[in-house]
Amino acid sequence: MTGHIDGYATAVLEVARAEGSLKEVVDEIYTIARVIDGSAELRNTLSDIRIPVERKQGVVEELLSGRASALTAALVDLVVATGRVTDLLAISDRLAERAAAERNRVVAEVRCARSLDAATVARLEESLGRATGKEVEVKTVVDPSVIGGIMARIGDVVIDGSMRCRFEQLRESLGITDG
Amino acid sequence: MLSLLAQVPFLAQGVDGSTEGTKLIIPDIEELIAGIIAFAIVFVVIWVWVRPHIARMITHRQEAISGRLTEAEQARIQAEKLLEDHRKQVADAHREAGSIVEEARRAAESVRSELMARAHREAEEVTRRAQQEAAAEKERAGAEVRDQVASLSLELAQKVLAEALDEDAQRHLVERYIQEVTELDE
Repeated sequence: MTGHIDGYATAVLEVARAEGSLKEVVDEIYTIARVIDGSAELRNTLSDIRIPVERKQGVVEELLSGRASALTAALVDLVVATGRVTDLLAISDRLAERAAAERNRVVAEVRCARSLDAATVARLEESLGRATGKEVEVKTVVDPSVIGGIMARIGDVVIDGSMRCRFEQLRESLGITDG
Repeated sequence: MLSLLAQVPFLAQGVDGSTEGTKLIIPDIEELIAGIIAFAIVFVVIWVWVRPHIARMITHRQEAISGRLTEAEQARIQAEKLLEDHRKQVADAHREAGSIVEEARRAAESVRSELMARAHREAEEVTRRAQQEAAAEKERAGAEVRDQVASLSLELAQKVLAEALDEDAQRHLVERYIQEVTELDE
């Protein structure tokens, strides 16, 4: 399993580096993987073995046309064609880690309700870097379910300052198990 | 005397026959003497030989009768004693029957009161348990309602908050987060 994921990550990394658009491709794949993961319908459609590969590829092409580079689209297409959609999230994580590691950095997955501007991202990178003692590269994921604030995940460390987290704590303290 | 004889027909004839008739009644002197002697002999014989026999027989009989009387008396006494005994036994039996009935009544009473007490206890137990269950049910329902109300309130608050958070508020939250993360280091 890990072998497959590493293999795919390495392959994508090599191809993107050869094409000279490493950062762009890695960022795009990172975002796409989270979009697919966030949508149950999309995830189910792409991982359903009863749906022919051609149709899945059609869905992906329609989704990515004009929003991602041709190379990104082709690489995602490859993953879908080989039936590895369920691994796409892990592959993109590994890819981002490897890309960041080449520049001695670690990836911080930052989830927030709205997109952040470049200055804010830079300040986040700085403060997260100081908190973890490493050079940090922030990957922003827009996720309305955090409601407000930010939830950052660096490897296994989670620094959750989101409204969703506050609500969950509130729920827990009130003894409500299901939301 | 004559008038009396006259009424009897064949004696009347004698009256009519005068001395001849009288002779019929008054016996001859020899005959009379012989008769007296014979009578005396018979009398003596009877007196000497028969009388003691009879006297013995009578004595015998008297003794027998008195013996039977004594027996009868004894039997009567015995019978009375028996009767008395029987009466006593009957009385005893009555008393015993009475005591048995009384005892049975007491036992029945105690069984009855015990059953009543048990039924009472069980009824109380059932009532108590029902009340407990009702209370627990109420408590559970209350807790469930509280949970649901809390859950719904939180959900609503979450939605309201999501809509209420505008650009400025979001930026403020992000700033605060950066501030907090920076403080983590110190």
